[in-house]
Amino acid sequence: MNLIAVCINHHTAPVGVRESFFLQDDEIKNFINDIKGKFLKEGLVISTCNRTEIYGLPVNQNINSQNLQNFLIEYKTKKELGSEFFHHFISQTAVDHLFSVATGIDSLLIGDNQIFKQVKESIEIAEEMHFSGFLMKRIFDAVIRAGKRAITETRISEGAVTVSYAAVQLIEKIFSTLNKKSALVIGAGETGEIAAKHLVERGIGKLSITNRTFEHAEELAEKLKGKIIPFDNLRERLHEFDIIISATSAENLILTKQDIEAAMKKRNYASMVLMDIAIPRDIDPSSAEIDYVFYHDIDSLDIIVEQNLEKRKAEIPKVKAIIDEEVNNFFTWYNSLEAAPTIKILRDHFETVRNEEVEKNINKFSEADREKLDIITKRIMNKLLHQPTVELKKNSEPGIGTDESAMRISIIRELFGIDKK
Amino acid sequence: MNSFIDFINNLLPFLYIITFTVYSYDFMSERSFGKANRGLANYKRLFLFSTLLIHLIYLLTRTIAFNHPPITNVFEIFTVMAFSVSFSYFILELVTDIRGTGPFIIIYSIIFQVISSIFIKDLIEVKEVLRNNLLGSHVFTALLGLSGFTISAVYGFLYLTLYKDIKLNKFGLIFNRLPSLEVLEKLSYLSAVIGFILLTIAMTIGVIWLPKAFPDFSYSDPKLISSFLVWLLYGIGILSKSLGKWRGKKVVVLSIIGFVMAIMSTMISNFLAKSFHSFY
Repeated sequence: MNLIAVCINHHTAPVGVRESFFLQDDEIKNFINDIKGKFLKEGLVISTCNRTEIYGLPVNQNINSQNLQNFLIEYKTKKELGSEFFHHFISQTAVDHLFSVATGIDSLLIGDNQIFKQVKESIEIAEEMHFSGFLMKRIFDAVIRAGKRAITETRISEGAVTVSYAAVQLIEKIFSTLNKKSALVIGAGETGEIAAKHLVERGIGKLSITNRTFEHAEELAEKLKGKIIPFDNLRERLHEFDIIISATSAENLILTKQDIEAAMKKRNYASMVLMDIAIPRDIDPSSAEIDYVFYHDIDSLDIIVEQNLEKRKAEIPKVKAIIDEEVNNFFTWYNSLEAAPTIKILRDHFETVRNEEVEKNINKFSEADREKLDIITKRIMNKLLHQPTVELKKNSEPGIGTDESAMRISIIRELFGIDKK
Repeated sequence: MNSFIDFINNLLPFLYIITFTVYSYDFMSERSFGKANRGLANYKRLFLFSTLLIHLIYLLTRTIAFNHPPITNVFEIFTVMAFSVSFSYFILELVTDIRGTGPFIIIYSIIFQVISSIFIKDLIEVKEVLRNNLLGSHVFTALLGLSGFTISAVYGFLYLTLYKDIKLNKFGLIFNRLPSLEVLEKLSYLSAVIGFILLTIAMTIGVIWLPKAFPDFSYSDPKLISSFLVWLLYGIGILSKSLGKWRGKKVVVLSIIGFVMAIMSTMISNFLAKSFHSFY
């Protein structure tokens, strides 16, 4: 199988280089238009913030992954870039790598199931662009199956592996459901936004945002359908919130222990969760001493993240076993697409049908005619099979691309239902 | 029939220990956490169900064979306690689908059943008053109430453990396997409320009927006083919680104290104090 792949990812290149190769969906479509027919007959282009990878079957034997790499560099950066930033794969290693990517074991955050979604979207684009042919379709099916199996049969995607998600996981160990809880996110930067999004995803009852720059809070609140709390009123309104996530870039403390104590008194000591995910910290850590105040900072959330990453790493062998199984299934199918065994199976199939029919009807013929019946039916069968046999034999002759031959053989096998037996 | 009763009597501690082991294994291995491992969680429930079924057969057989409900002495009461604690947990698990807390409750059934199995005797001759149906209702409601308090105390203890773990950033097995603090608090409170209602019924029956049945009945009986104190303690706790004055640690600590008092009261009145409540 002459599948080739060229990849630039977090293993091979720093983020600055990786991001210069990032392709938006529209760019992927344009890129496919440019490489289709020129370099590849069919294939797949995956591009995320951590990787840009191109897989495909070359249009002819002169095309290799280096040509593809050069074209990609020319297409995106037009700069001189060394080969050390790229990985090249061929045949089974390319298939293996694609499976590792889709199942999340090759991700920067092991088990990140976001990548599975991105691979599926890339497959959809390939199909939309008629870039997925006979072989790639079969690979896509197997990849999607392996990705789903990794999620359902292993714990590779379980547990929070980012600080903001760990914060939400911890909150869920304190409150049973979030739909009756109110949360305040202090800081409308990227970290605050991610944390707020997680809360919304988990069905938070009320979400409020506060930020020193009012416009930023307004922007985020609008995006997440939250309310805005003026930053100056923050202390007076603290008691209204069950969950406070702070992620500002302030250099000094925003909330002191006294502020929290005052809020707790107003709340009649109903539990309050404080997630301080800012560096330097926004909330006085000694607030943790107050009863029913659950204060956690980045360090404590990192403990959860590390534990979950360890658990995910322990699941890698199980995912690899799934990949091995799916890749083996694929290659068993692929290897069956050879001319000689197909001719034999096809002839056996015809012979079985002929035999059954002869046996069923033999009594309708006299003793003397029975031998003739056998000879005639064999002759008919041979005549019917002559042309397909000649065509199949052509597929093993040099000069015919292996993928084209595989496709022809596969069609014959499907037409006669050989693989269903 | 007696040999059958003896056989099950000896078997029950082992059945509870096996059930406890299965629940503990599931708890320790974290296996049932993932959706792919739901099978083991259902499997352990089957163990508990089978144990409870055999225990129920045992209690019924005893009642028929000895012609009185198994409430005439403390060791009969202990086997009923073992049953009612696990049975209450089984119902709670079915209703709430919270499965990680089983080992902490089933262990109480083991303790009650082991003591009962060792010391229980085949009593055919009992005081006539102990065959009375009203007494049966009094004792059964009291025991179910005590089961409620036991479960409430266990959830209270788990609440305190998880509370401490979260505060101290200890994210181990307890953190991973237990439900949220809010759920543990709710379960503890709910069990206490059910226990309180049942104890109220038991005490009402007792106050109305016992003076008629026992000539030596006394309102200054230590069991009566201690039961009233337990009832009062839970009453105060439940009222404060429902009025929103107390919450969290305060309520669960009260529940644990109430449970210890209830156990002590049973022990004292049955083994130490001279009381009309002592029959053994």
